[in-house]
Amino acid sequence: MDEFQEILQDFLVESFELVEKLDEDLVELETNPEDLELLNGIFRVAHTVKGASSFLNFDVLTHLTHHMEDVLNKARHGELIITPDIMDVVLESIDLMKALLEIIRDTSADAGIDVSACVARLDKISGGDGAVETPVASEPVVEEVAETVEEPVVADDEPDYENMDDSEIEDEIERLLRERQEEDKAKRQAKIAAGEKVLAAPPEPDSEEAKAEPKAEVKPEPVAAPTPVPVTPAAPKKEEPKAAAPAKRAPAAVEQTIRVDVKRLDHLMNLIGELVLAKNRLIKINDDVEERYEGEEFLEELNQVVSIVSLVTTDLQIAVMKTRMLPIGKVFNKFPRMIRDLSRELDKKIELEISGEETELDKSIVEEIGDPLVHIIRNSCDHGVETPSERLAKGKEETGTIGLKAYNEGNQIVIQIDDDGKGLDIDMLKNKSLEKGIITEKEADSMSEKEAFGLIFKPGFSTAAAVTNVSGRGVGMDVVKTNIEKLNGMIDIDSEIDVGTSMKLKIPLTLAIIQALLVGVQEEYYAIPLASVLETVRISRDEIYTVEGKSVMRLREEVLSLVHIGDIFEVERILDANEHAYVVVLGLGTSKLGLIVDTLVGQEEIVIKSLGDYLKGIEGVAGATIRGDGGVTLIVDVVALMTMARDVKATAMIDNSGDGAAVSNEKTKASDYTVMIVDDSKTDRMIMRKALEPMGITLVEASDGQEALNILKSGDHNFDAMLVDIEMPRMDGYSLATEIKKYNKYKNLPLIAVTSRTGKSDRMRGVESGMVEYITKPYSADYLSSVVQRNVNFKAEFL
Amino acid sequence: MSDKLKDIINKQGQQQESGTDKSDNVVQLVGFVIGDEEYAVPILAIQEIIKPFSWTRVPQVPKYVLGVFNLRGAVIPLIDLRAKFGLQTKNHSDETRFIVMRHGDDVAGFVIDRLTMAIRIDKVNIGPAPDTVSGDDTIIDGVGKQEDKIITILKVNKLLERDF
Repeated sequence: MDEFQEILQDFLVESFELVEKLDEDLVELETNPEDLELLNGIFRVAHTVKGASSFLNFDVLTHLTHHMEDVLNKARHGELIITPDIMDVVLESIDLMKALLEIIRDTSADAGIDVSACVARLDKISGGDGAVETPVASEPVVEEVAETVEEPVVADDEPDYENMDDSEIEDEIERLLRERQEEDKAKRQAKIAAGEKVLAAPPEPDSEEAKAEPKAEVKPEPVAAPTPVPVTPAAPKKEEPKAAAPAKRAPAAVEQTIRVDVKRLDHLMNLIGELVLAKNRLIKINDDVEERYEGEEFLEELNQVVSIVSLVTTDLQIAVMKTRMLPIGKVFNKFPRMIRDLSRELDKKIELEISGEETELDKSIVEEIGDPLVHIIRNSCDHGVETPSERLAKGKEETGTIGLKAYNEGNQIVIQIDDDGKGLDIDMLKNKSLEKGIITEKEADSMSEKEAFGLIFKPGFSTAAAVTNVSGRGVGMDVVKTNIEKLNGMIDIDSEIDVGTSMKLKIPLTLAIIQALLVGVQEEYYAIPLASVLETVRISRDEIYTVEGKSVMRLREEVLSLVHIGDIFEVERILDANEHAYVVVLGLGTSKLGLIVDTLVGQEEIVIKSLGDYLKGIEGVAGATIRGDGGVTLIVDVVALMTMARDVKATAMIDNSGDGAAVSNEKTKASDYTVMIVDDSKTDRMIMRKALEPMGITLVEASDGQEALNILKSGDHNFDAMLVDIEMPRMDGYSLATEIKKYNKYKNLPLIAVTSRTGKSDRMRGVESGMVEYITKPYSADYLSSVVQRNVNFKAEFL
Repeated sequence: MSDKLKDIINKQGQQQESGTDKSDNVVQLVGFVIGDEEYAVPILAIQEIIKPFSWTRVPQVPKYVLGVFNLRGAVIPLIDLRAKFGLQTKNHSDETRFIVMRHGDDVAGFVIDRLTMAIRIDKVNIGPAPDTVSGDDTIIDGVGKQEDKIITILKVNKLLERDF
């Protein structure tokens, strides 16, 4: 499969996807003609198809889409209202576009369909006179010629396979095989001559490859069908296309590859997700067992098995993730051709330098990144690099350079696009935006350099003076930004006038897994993508000031506006507010925001899951992840959070005052009093029950701290007091008391320690954790009963 | 093998045959109770029925959407049918279950008070929803008549539809 075919395949897959979506959108547009969002979307489709088809020299398709785009552009700017009549023409043109794409798929050329009538109608709608010249369709023969330029060796005298019978084809394959082997031999000899040691390549892959290739050319392949992987390097090219980059390719080694359906990999990934969860549970159970059967011999064996399982699971997870990685070269490969065509079209001399094409990225990202890169590079060619005469006048080299490189940086991959063109003129950017009403005067004045550069990503912004085939309608860069943000990526621009522009796209390695900071508020946890966290600070309450109803704090020399995460996510405030809070400083581009949280849990690698259709579009939530304990934690959408924060009033700092009001109800009989007995020993519980039963109060039992806490939280009973043993499995008495005292509601709930620990330090700990009484075992039934009566304010008449 | 056992096996075989004969006219449902009413959904729409476990609250949703929970690695919304039907919420008991229903790609868990049983009901015994609540908007598919009671059959696609 040659380069052109590969680009063509990509183009077709993408175009069919876009067109499919287009149909739905257009139908909706007819019922809803004023929907700007929808119009913008449709317009972008036409724009993208036009752009790509013009690179591939499909003149008829370009011609058609160009006029479609004109009409849609007018509609988008409100100069034209989509009436059903106009819609008919637009729909007709889209049908034509589909037909053209199908023809391209089958014959690799866009001949055979007459679009002139439709184009004339489109032109009339957009205000022209309908007299439009239709370019002559490029015949398939023309394409063949183009291919021979690309790969002179293969296409030297390409016979017509269609008209051959089987034996002739066999002969042809034989001939190609021999040819290829001779070439390889020659190549090896050349290498040996060059002093390199070359291992004798196994002959099998060669012959297989040689067989597979001509076959693929005999039948035009269906678009979606998997194509054979070239096992050996493609036939050496005699000459590189002139304007294309002299991109150096490492001599490809013999690769052992196998094609696998992505669905299978996804399935594997899901299975491993479940395995990880099971592993986490296993570890938890192991811990419990360890505690319960301390010192038993089988424990060590169990420990070993658990650690092996967990180790292998982690390795397995990494291994499967790696299988989904693809080198970014797959995307970069189509740019040399694009640059060549562009430089011809624009009459500029441009060279492309590619490096780091072996950098690997998750497959889904590799697929998504292509479009934005096309737009950026197209922009660099059109607006960045100057014409040769301009360059000479500025004292630069005649040929402009565009650098495209990829490299790893921590957990991110950086794709950098540099050009040595004229750079971005900040004043020009501001003026243009003012003219188009994208920003106000005030905004323009207070704008930093970086913010001004960011203007090029605003919808409707274009710096090109004239609308050309290449760019200048102000859609491209807008698409870039949306696409990159969709990948959780960031764009960083640097530019200097007459020196050049450099754009850095920072993208997480995989879409599915990110580093996150886990924060706690009340009893809930949230995950914040670490990429947008600048720093965290611990502050005390009195460092927070209120200005115009908003909380702010001073962070070094800056004033940072604050918002409580509880206000954003409507968290119910049940726990007592702490003296101290943590502020997570979030940064997005140039804007900053302080997010107040109760606790910082730590940094964790999380797997992003969607909330599904039912819950999509919840503001401020980017998705969910499953934690080690099997619980679900929501992931904060920092972009949305920044906007939401503007509408939040400073309420978080005000403690709710009416606590404990509704807890104690009027007691009318002895059984209205409820006391919980928490002890791990059944006998001890029985003794307490026996001592308290004569009072006639309601007794609830729990066998450890965790169970007690759950009963308390369920709210089934209103407890008046709790009898708590200190030594218990899972959660001991001290921790239980500390947990309970965190709740506003239970601040005044009397906790009575009942224990055999008599040491002074034990008593001290009891008091520290919030116990009001300390009863040591053994005790008399009467004593216990009197202590309980005193603590629950037992009314004498019930006795 | 005793004769009695043979008898039973034969009978079962016959039942199965008769079951398959009439399968076109018989609807299989799973019945459950919310509040005082018994409801049912088609058995094929049910992915699984599980005991309650913890879930995570989600902000900015109506009260009947309790949040999301983890079903073996998938994040699935959890909807309290008591709240959705305008009843007082109550704490989960031993009989409370989550029914995970699926319609196409949409999946959600529903909290119900109690399961009753799997029901086979003849199509002729299913009446339309009462006139006052019929139409496309209702979540009632029909009313199944049984010997001693009637069961409200719900539309799974409507239950899984986001209405906020």
